[in-house]
Amino acid sequence: MARRGAPVDVVGVGRTFALGGGEVEALRGFEMHVPAGGFSALIGPSGCGKSTALRLVAGLDAPDEGTIDMDGASPDQMRRGQRIGVAFQDPSLLPWRTVSTNIRLALELVGRRHDTGSVDDLIELVGLQGFEKARPAQLSGGMRQRVAIARSLVTEPDLLLLDEPFGALDALTRQQLNDELQRIWTARGTTTILVTHSIPEAVYVADEVLVMSPRPGRVVAHHAIDFERPRTRELLLADEFHAKVEAVSASLHRSEGQVVQLEADDS
Amino acid sequence: MDRVPPRVLSAAVGIAVLALWELLARTVYAGSYRLSPPTLVVVDFFEYRDLYLRNLWHSTKTAAWGFLWGNLAAIALAGVASILPVLRRSIGAIALTVFCLPFIAVAPILRLITGPGNGTPITLSALAVFFTTYVAALLGFDTAPGSALDVVRSFGRGRLAAFRRVRLRASVPAMIAGLQIAAPAAFLGAVVGEFTGARSGLGILTVRALGALHTERIWVIALLSTIVATGGYMVIGALGRWLCPWAPALDVGAVPAARQEPGLLNRMAALLAPIIVVFVFWYAFLWVFQIKPFFAKTPFDVWAELFTNADAAETRSSVFGALGTTLWTTSLGYVAGLIGAVVTAVVFVLIPWLERALMPIAVALRSIPIIVTTPVIILFVGRGLLTTTAIVAVMSFFPTLVNCYAAMNRTPVGILDVLKSYDAGSAAHVRNAYLPTAVPALLASARIAVPTSLLGATVAEWLATGDGIGAVMVIAFTRNDYNVLWVSVAVLTLVAVIGYWLVAAFELRTLERVAPGASR
Repeated sequence: MARRGAPVDVVGVGRTFALGGGEVEALRGFEMHVPAGGFSALIGPSGCGKSTALRLVAGLDAPDEGTIDMDGASPDQMRRGQRIGVAFQDPSLLPWRTVSTNIRLALELVGRRHDTGSVDDLIELVGLQGFEKARPAQLSGGMRQRVAIARSLVTEPDLLLLDEPFGALDALTRQQLNDELQRIWTARGTTTILVTHSIPEAVYVADEVLVMSPRPGRVVAHHAIDFERPRTRELLLADEFHAKVEAVSASLHRSEGQVVQLEADDS
Repeated sequence: MDRVPPRVLSAAVGIAVLALWELLARTVYAGSYRLSPPTLVVVDFFEYRDLYLRNLWHSTKTAAWGFLWGNLAAIALAGVASILPVLRRSIGAIALTVFCLPFIAVAPILRLITGPGNGTPITLSALAVFFTTYVAALLGFDTAPGSALDVVRSFGRGRLAAFRRVRLRASVPAMIAGLQIAAPAAFLGAVVGEFTGARSGLGILTVRALGALHTERIWVIALLSTIVATGGYMVIGALGRWLCPWAPALDVGAVPAARQEPGLLNRMAALLAPIIVVFVFWYAFLWVFQIKPFFAKTPFDVWAELFTNADAAETRSSVFGALGTTLWTTSLGYVAGLIGAVVTAVVFVLIPWLERALMPIAVALRSIPIIVTTPVIILFVGRGLLTTTAIVAVMSFFPTLVNCYAAMNRTPVGILDVLKSYDAGSAAHVRNAYLPTAVPALLASARIAVPTSLLGATVAEWLATGDGIGAVMVIAFTRNDYNVLWVSVAVLTLVAVIGYWLVAAFELRTLERVAPGASR
């Protein structure tokens, strides 16, 4: 399967928010490079700016400094070109639409409302056959997330951005969806960035795991993950998998320690 | 425009409106009795300061008594309904019936009991606050956390203990939200009570000024009423924020309709119980106050007057003919007000600086009882059929606008992000996010607006237009024709209740589709 999608190059990005009377510096000197068709996972402590970084790449927010380039286009141009698919921790489905019309929403928004064949294919791909006419309130949390993932994929975007899409789910459903995510990515080959809290999840699905420092966030460690694909659940029991998880875990702890030190230096 | 502070923007808009008003009054409307220039309104106020303040104080006192009694009764009955769920539907029916009464025509009947003094305005004022406070209090009792109720139950205590220790406390924010809208409503009740006759008060002052075409006086009264009613609304709102700063703002006008119990037997009971309860209350009312048969009409008298008496056909044609006129003009205004409100809310949500400039004005106007400003609209629009339509439109417009805008503003950020990530335009935002999220608020407002629209229509007809059932009632009142008066009150109340039910049924059906889990 040919790799598709846009490469992502983020260089020296900073973003500061006004909060109450003061300011919060979410990102400083944030860099990441994802090759076309690559799968990167962003991991870091709570509040380190992972979601901010993803929103910047999605063109939903603009950086105060630095550049984000995707094959010569800015995130805003990518967004306006309707080449991005997003799914958040909150599935954000329209409660008044059914499963299939929620997925079709993305097609309607990009002006391809008659392209219904792909909707049916995706419903099958995410395993929701038989629920086409159900409304979000009738679905479980995991099923809603599948709808959100299907919606993010239906326009065949060049870039797929996932912000902890499985964060609110139980471990079993989560593993199942990770398997499906991997399958979908293998089949479609879209450049994908996944923000997550879970180290095993990141190591299981991604080509590369980027570890972020606490706020102001920046990438402090890269871990290439070169397990063969398709990865199966047996991998979860393998020693080399655990070794990788340990390594990522260690750099995450180091990154947290670093900031404690930084803050000590500041005072 | 986006950088101007909202207060400055609102103040600028206010000044611009005043300037335009002054200009129009002195040019286009000069000498027409329709519009007084603001400067003359101010001059008139200071010239007759004592008269105005005396009557304002009188109406405010009346409203305060009505506020006290009406709210006490509503909260007490909501408590009974909460502790004894069996009675809930019956008490709810009484509350709704009270809300649907055409107050202006009830006043002469009440005066038979209370005499010519202040009793009628106080009673009407109490009736005007009853329904909304009842709904708010019950909502508050119901929002008590189930886990806390379980704790009380796990110690072997019953419903009474749960009510006293958990529900009463949990209800405070909702109760204050109810009292907040009760403040202007109490003022409305007092003034409407005074419209039909009183020794003193802004209501009777208005009626005299309308007769004398004293334009400035009518504008002064409308402004004073607005200030007092809005003041009460804001003071109670501030009290609420001070007492329970953690509680989110709640609008009782946007509370969804209560869900019906499933099952045919339950449905039948739901339909019959209220009718029986209302009839029992009707008889009890006549019996307790020992009203003379010439004035007192039972449900059977009303039936006879409409269907079996010698002149029944005549009564029917006059009452139902007039009712047709009223319903036509009212529904025109009702629909125009609702559509206008939704369109304006969409415009506000798409053009934030316009919203910041105009919304504070809309919020202020929402809190005032528009009926109190009816005389001003009568002056401005004239005394034709259009007056009724205009008043009803204005009455349904502001609450619906405020509720719908608030709902659109609460569109989940995630949904907006999804739309933005596909670079969706304004039309796609309106279609896929703002309009559907506003549907529950629109339907709740539409339901509440049914009785208030009919109330506004009958007041306008009574005071000004000489058309419709309001006019039939005022003629019956002046001729001491209590048969027609009771028939009209009964028919109007029934129409309002049925209208309310129809919208509620439509609301529940739609909510199941649009916002599952939203109905209570």
